[in-house]
Amino acid sequence: MQNLYEYINRFTNVTEQEFEQISRMLETVHCEKKHILTHRGQVEKYLYIIRKGLVRKFFYKNKEEMITQLAKEDDLVCSSVSFLSQQPSEYIVETLEPCSLLAISYDNLQRLYATGYHMERMGRLITLDWLLQKEAWEHERLQHDPRERFIRFMNENGDFVQRVQQKYLASYLNMKPETFSRYKHLLRN
Amino acid sequence: MNEQVLYKQYMETVFNYFRHFIELSREEFDAISPYFEIRKFDKRTKVLKIGETDNYFNIIMKGIARKYLMVKKKEVTIQLSTEGHMIHSELSFNLQQPSDCIIETIEPVTFLSMSYDNIQLIYQKFPKTEKLGRMIITEMFIKKDQRDFKQLNRTTRERFLEYMQNHPDMLQRVPQKYLASYLNIKPETFSRLKHLLRLRKTVPAKDN
Repeated sequence: MQNLYEYINRFTNVTEQEFEQISRMLETVHCEKKHILTHRGQVEKYLYIIRKGLVRKFFYKNKEEMITQLAKEDDLVCSSVSFLSQQPSEYIVETLEPCSLLAISYDNLQRLYATGYHMERMGRLITLDWLLQKEAWEHERLQHDPRERFIRFMNENGDFVQRVQQKYLASYLNMKPETFSRYKHLLRN
Repeated sequence: MNEQVLYKQYMETVFNYFRHFIELSREEFDAISPYFEIRKFDKRTKVLKIGETDNYFNIIMKGIARKYLMVKKKEVTIQLSTEGHMIHSELSFNLQQPSDCIIETIEPVTFLSMSYDNIQLIYQKFPKTEKLGRMIITEMFIKKDQRDFKQLNRTTRERFLEYMQNHPDMLQRVPQKYLASYLNIKPETFSRLKHLLRLRKTVPAKDN
């Protein structure tokens, strides 16, 4: 819970009371690897915070899996548009390792917002952070060619990349698995 | 149209847009509205340059503007916005850091703008705007995700047709190279795809 407290306080200072109120609304979820948290077509009910494990978000382009998020400890993950809009999900959310997650339901989050402006503020700033991360990733993707993207990503995510299958990393970086393999010699040089 | 009339009309649009998200009385909105300012720019003017900190959140009252990145000396258009839509550098504005993108007008533009400081002031003075802010950001997030999704999930041809159907006047108002860049289509391919628009007009006639 310490991590969650720190995470929230990055955005706004919550009192002990407020944090307790938030904590009471969280559910703990344990699941095996390859467990599907959200199916395509299902309305996303939960926003997850990862305590332990790895999760990916992807969709099918024809029969090819396109990964748009790889989430690890302390990251937030869910089918975000479905969660925010309460419309059926285009994406699938699946665990890659056995996971321990904290989950807050959409309804509980709305209840939390309704308790006061301070919780609204927290919600606004966290949603803004999501938006900015998305924007930053778009710029990253456009401003760097696949080779640069590979080097930057691998250098910034040292331990993490050891835990993820190469084909998933390649998909996330929007490159063919062969290209990914070919780039690997760049890391040794 | 008379400037004052246009301004009034736009403030009314903004009022209704806000009320779409939160309960807001006329008096409450009147207290917020003086924090908006009108900013006008000629066509082809850089409203925000690389390295500058974006100080304004803009709603377009009149005209068209675009946002682009410089990638190895080439322009990559990432946003095209017309009347009623918002444009700013999300990263530079919200984090108050130097911008990595450029905002440039295509036609002469009139913005209804609010400065970063004034927005922070409004959140403090009128706490119910916290929810309004969250809802607007949520909507921006959803739109951005849908665009990303389409870029990855649709073919070039589908992206072209869908955009042209939803924005029929853009072909007249925006240089083709900007549209092509925004849709991530090569200019040559874009020219070639234009015949599909003529075809679409004639096909239904045959069916009848």
